[in-house]
Amino acid sequence: MRPIPDMSYNRLHILLFLAPIFIIVLLLYGMIAWTMAVSMDNWVGMAPVWKFNGLQNYVTLFRMERFWGSLRNNLTWMVAFIIPSAMLGLVLAYGLVLSGRAESLFRPLFLYPLALSFVVTGTLWAWMYDPEAGVINNILKSIGLGSLSQPWIASPRQATFCLIGAAIWQYTGFAMTLYLAAIRDIPGEIFEAAKVDGASDMQIFRHVVVPNVTQATMVTIAMMTIFSLKVFDLVWVITFGGPGTSTEVLGFFMFVATYRQQFVGLGAAISVIILILAAAVVVPYAWWSMKKLQT
Amino acid sequence: MRKINIRKRLSKLPLLFVLTVAALVWLLPMYTMVANSLKTAREISRAQYYLPPRGLELQNYVTAFSILQQGLLNSLLVSLPTTLIAVFLGSWAGFFLSRMRFKYSQTIFFATTIATFLPYQVVLFPLTKLLVTLHVINTRPGLILAYLILNTPMAMLITATFFEMIPVELQEAAGLDGCGPITFYWRILLPVGRLAIISTAILIFTFVWNDFLIAMAMTQGPLAQMATPVLAGLKGNYAQVWHIQMAGAMITSVPPLLIFIFLGRYFVSGLMAGTLKG
Repeated sequence: MRPIPDMSYNRLHILLFLAPIFIIVLLLYGMIAWTMAVSMDNWVGMAPVWKFNGLQNYVTLFRMERFWGSLRNNLTWMVAFIIPSAMLGLVLAYGLVLSGRAESLFRPLFLYPLALSFVVTGTLWAWMYDPEAGVINNILKSIGLGSLSQPWIASPRQATFCLIGAAIWQYTGFAMTLYLAAIRDIPGEIFEAAKVDGASDMQIFRHVVVPNVTQATMVTIAMMTIFSLKVFDLVWVITFGGPGTSTEVLGFFMFVATYRQQFVGLGAAISVIILILAAAVVVPYAWWSMKKLQT
Repeated sequence: MRKINIRKRLSKLPLLFVLTVAALVWLLPMYTMVANSLKTAREISRAQYYLPPRGLELQNYVTAFSILQQGLLNSLLVSLPTTLIAVFLGSWAGFFLSRMRFKYSQTIFFATTIATFLPYQVVLFPLTKLLVTLHVINTRPGLILAYLILNTPMAMLITATFFEMIPVELQEAAGLDGCGPITFYWRILLPVGRLAIISTAILIFTFVWNDFLIAMAMTQGPLAQMATPVLAGLKGNYAQVWHIQMAGAMITSVPPLLIFIFLGRYFVSGLMAGTLKG
């Protein structure tokens, strides 16, 4: 631990500097507790109904095929979104490092989607994937590969993967940036030593880069897991959960249950499930970054 | 020596080729959006989306803008104050937490990190009820309040991560000269830590401008609605009218894209600090 810098402050300073954030954070925790309380009430409609009914909302939820479908889709997101974007991000990062000066030209081209709103991405990709008038099928037909055209978002089997494809397009640059920084942090001597030993770029990638970027991998996976648990906008804009309920995820189901169907108690129960799943990642992550910051 | 250099450059060609192909794939959606936003309805009906536009049909932008106008104004009037206040309150606390050591600083950091990274859905409904209780639901001040509650902790974490890197000596020297925390924050930290402040501000502004969930849950109707829900509505009302949709998507993307193009460095450093990897 670093020596404590010498600048005198008193209790009043602590209060002055930390009271605003303390109130906000306390409010957030209060709202989490409030959601938990509502999840155990039979609250239907917008006006408050504080009728305690224990775990009944959870029982109802666990009996719904729609809930399991949403949860399944969230898990699909975690696997099919995180692994490809992380791997692609790492490969691109290494490619950029090898490309030398061309890096500054290429980097923004992979990163710019990150600046866009999911609603923009959704509007754009909904058209890309449109089965009749969509861009992808249109291009396939015009280059004589019409037989490869797919129903995309019109097919319950493919639709979730289509959404994930749009997210990969948007988030690969994020993983790439984290990996770029991580590769830069690897001491140059290790690369030099490997080169002197005659290692090829491929071998360096496997034996030097991959083992030395585990921390970036952890950060990427943590951030993308949280993203997979809260995904909402892309689903809303591109498929609105459809066809049927085939692309619904917990975040979407929660919104529809609470705001459209006004099953507030049930919606709160879904929120609590999201909370539990997210906490499994967020709490260890917060612990880790706290330890890092203070040493 | 020169020969080796040339061979080295040639050996890079396959790599550059692969990167170029990947970059083209990444650009294709953007190209589609720009190209088709400038086509006439007749050109669109020919369904040759990969072709560049024949002329510049700016009327699409006029149409899309007239629909998005109020939403864009609302987005601006919500994002800017939110950013200013969140970055001030966040850096105010982030400074104290990262530069002063006291008993509970770790606990506060830990609790704030959790609150920051939990999905919005966990507090969405109570937040709605809070705005209803305060009679600011479906108004711009209400949206500002909601975004402040959600983004100030994030601003604190990012600035704290940045401020960690400021040399201790600076603070020691100031301390010896009798400079207290408040003077230090205004006189030394803000100027020295401008990178932190700008990066955080850019990130928060982009988050708020791009957000959809809060904007959807807290507003109804055009009065206070931000640009993102209006754009999503445009997709419903102008189904299959791709050129208007694309023009609308382009207009909504202007502020974040301008930030990315001109302040990309800050955007990236804010993003990295936002993961708290330090």
